[in-house]
Amino acid sequence: MRAVIGDYTIRVERRADLRWWHTTLASVLAIVVSLFLVGFAFLRVGADPLEVYSEIVKYAFLSEFGLPQTINRATFVLLAAFALIVPLRAGLWNIGMPGQIYAATLAAFGVAYAFGAKRSVNVQLPGELIIPLMFLAALAAGAVYGAIAGFLRGRFQVNEIVTTMMLNWAMLWIVAHMIREGGPFMGRTAEGEGFTLPTSLRLPQILGVPLTVYIALALAVLLTWFLAKTTLGYRIRTYGESPRAAEYAGIDATRISTLVFALGGLLAGLAGYHYFAAVPGVFKIPKNYADFGDFSFYGLITGLIARNNPIAAIPVAVLFGGVSGGARFMQGKLRLAFGIDYALLGVLMIMMVAFQALAHYSVRVERQAAVPRPQLELERGESRVESPRH
Amino acid sequence: MPLSAQGESDERSVGAARERSAGRVVLEARGITKRFGTVVANDHIDLTVRAGELHAVLGENGAGKTTLMRILFGELQPDEGEIYLDGQRVRFRSPRDALRHGIGMVHQERKLIPAHTALENIILGHPKTGAILNLREAEREVSALCERYGFRVPLHAKVWQLSEGEKQIVEILKELYHGARILILDEPTSVLSPPEIVKLLESLTRMAKEDLAVIPFITHKLPVVLEHCDRVTILRRGRVVAEMETRHATEQTLAAAMVGREVVLQLERVEVPLGDPIVRVQDLWVRDDRGLFAVQGLSFEIRAGEILGIAGVAGNGQEPLAEALAGLRPVERGTITLDSIDITHAPVLERWRRGLGYIPTERREVGSIPTFSLVDNVLLNYHFEREFSRWGILASGQARELTERILREYSVVAAGPNAPARSLSGGNLQKVILGRVLSRKPRFLIACLPTHGLDVGAAEFVQRKILEAKQSGTAVLLISEDLDEILALSDRIAAIYEGQFTGIVPASEASKELVGELMAGLRRERV
Repeated sequence: MRAVIGDYTIRVERRADLRWWHTTLASVLAIVVSLFLVGFAFLRVGADPLEVYSEIVKYAFLSEFGLPQTINRATFVLLAAFALIVPLRAGLWNIGMPGQIYAATLAAFGVAYAFGAKRSVNVQLPGELIIPLMFLAALAAGAVYGAIAGFLRGRFQVNEIVTTMMLNWAMLWIVAHMIREGGPFMGRTAEGEGFTLPTSLRLPQILGVPLTVYIALALAVLLTWFLAKTTLGYRIRTYGESPRAAEYAGIDATRISTLVFALGGLLAGLAGYHYFAAVPGVFKIPKNYADFGDFSFYGLITGLIARNNPIAAIPVAVLFGGVSGGARFMQGKLRLAFGIDYALLGVLMIMMVAFQALAHYSVRVERQAAVPRPQLELERGESRVESPRH
Repeated sequence: MPLSAQGESDERSVGAARERSAGRVVLEARGITKRFGTVVANDHIDLTVRAGELHAVLGENGAGKTTLMRILFGELQPDEGEIYLDGQRVRFRSPRDALRHGIGMVHQERKLIPAHTALENIILGHPKTGAILNLREAEREVSALCERYGFRVPLHAKVWQLSEGEKQIVEILKELYHGARILILDEPTSVLSPPEIVKLLESLTRMAKEDLAVIPFITHKLPVVLEHCDRVTILRRGRVVAEMETRHATEQTLAAAMVGREVVLQLERVEVPLGDPIVRVQDLWVRDDRGLFAVQGLSFEIRAGEILGIAGVAGNGQEPLAEALAGLRPVERGTITLDSIDITHAPVLERWRRGLGYIPTERREVGSIPTFSLVDNVLLNYHFEREFSRWGILASGQARELTERILREYSVVAAGPNAPARSLSGGNLQKVILGRVLSRKPRFLIACLPTHGLDVGAAEFVQRKILEAKQSGTAVLLISEDLDEILALSDRIAAIYEGQFTGIVPASEASKELVGELMAGLRRERV
């Protein structure tokens, strides 16, 4: 595309290849533009945008309560993003994080339940045995629940988006059945939430954050390596780029799609285990469990913004984890209207996705060398009569 | 050594000889120049086309044909030069604008809606087609066009059901229905079988008689040009190197002008002593995507060092046959054995491991992945080998070395082993695919349309490599729609028609006429 304004030519061209700094710059610009735009909303409700933003940052990243919350939420979002990224590398959409998260969470709590964890918070159980069991059960259940959609897609071409969405609903009702009144996992207070995990079954922490945080960070590196360097990763990418070329190369569609969904489910399952069985102050399936299902969709946006790159997903997840907590805190502290924190998050997400798309284009402004205007050559002695209308 | 252009006086005599109303200049391009950055794609090109003439523009890939074509139908604006229509200077701002002036364009890729009927596609976008479709009237008009030019197309069939030749005719009809008087055709013969080409050219000749000017742009298929076109303009590296009447030209002079050196137009078959049978196919039945039997009871065997050529019009079961042999399509009945081992239902990888090599028709959709590097593309045929995947980790050094070797041995023009496949021209990409498959030293090679769409030089190279494989004892199944290629390379030729062999003849007995009749289903030999 080209537009000429005076002596200047503005060229907009699609980039041949996108470098990491293009996307990074796009994300930073997106944040700046969002903060600027949402600033008007804050002005409208009578708050000083700068104060708002500094409150958010102070709480989310500098406060004693806020920072761990940010880290734990970011880990949850990050793992959910991995659950999107792995299948998406094979060209398949996993929208089933909530289902997979709760399949895993129920499995983990099921193991604890089987060992009598529901009796009391103080019951002494062999954690060194049961914690790994809970962990593995969670991963396995997430993987199996994810694999259903992948198998159906690979074997029978059933649309994976529809299947995963339906599996989400099924799982959310199963959770309701398990933790609400009369359900086997019902808590002692009977307030529609699950029983609290005994202290002996809680995942150990390092530097105030649960082990799962470190696992998630290591996974970012491991997944990047797995997708780029291993044979399986190669097959996943091949299938994602061209299912027909993959078939030609002898790559089995059913196997690949089952595998990527099992992996996606496993990663989502880890998110479930992390938040409900490892994050301090939670340790149960809460009443508002469905909200966390929605929260896992932040992972979807994160994966898209990070352009399927597990490492790039880390800062994005930290941003969303921080802003979601910080904005809610700020809204309460400054007594602002309900929902303004969501407005901020929503604008941020839209802008970041939009700017990622724009990063594909380069804009160049060129100044043209002034073209010498053709001079009318006049015969000597000839007079030139200017038109009266010019 | 530009060949001398023919003078005006000659033109008269030819016009008289052919009894056409040729003479009136309808389209003239003068000094067309187009630069892309520092590359001069078109360098002062002159082209004069008269009413009633078939005027071919010849040139290799990259000679500037596409640029010229895009300028002529308004998709690009020339940097310099003028276009005159009936003596009037014109400037096209868009293809729509060009069509308003009567210039129609038929692209090499089809631009039709597969789920709609031929008729619906033809009338789509016509100003007369308002909110309410008057299909009956439109059908009358389109039928009249068909009759006038001798086209036969089922107007009410959905486009996906049509053969490639029919689809092309639908595109031509569409342009005519929208009022084109000058028709530009991009590689019109590239997707057609010999009988379809003959039919198309007869229609085009008829159109030319009706005071339409037809300008096919052609990369290969020189005999076609000689037989049916009146004049040719030959481009090389963005310039007109010759303009001549075809009756003064031979295939050799045309090719030499295009390439700029003498070329071997068609390699000769090499006789090697045949070995044991490698592949045996017995009573093979295969369904196509619609569930119909596309391959109906085919039986054949290929021996070591032998090339069996399958000659046929596109869509007569060649593709399902190749896919069934490669394991990409289930076999309903019959058996396939490779080295006496039954592989009828074997998975794809087992076949590759047992020595199958397969060069698919669709280079960019199946044979390669455009966004992948050449190394990753080479791995498509190697990722399952132990040397290339140790402990589940790709041996990238190994793969890189192999890729570099292929690039060297096949003189591929590429930025390097890490260049994405999409940056390669069709010919270079085909060399990579061929090199990758042949580097496995296959016992049995299936080559589908290996030189399709390649320019003269690359085609020669690919054919030479296939002959080399044959000499080293590979059994080759060559599927091609280029009858000349089949006749030149094969030891035996099987003609396929509606999923059955109408004959398998040894090369010594095969003539173009005989095989042509067999593949058109007009004649049957005892198979």
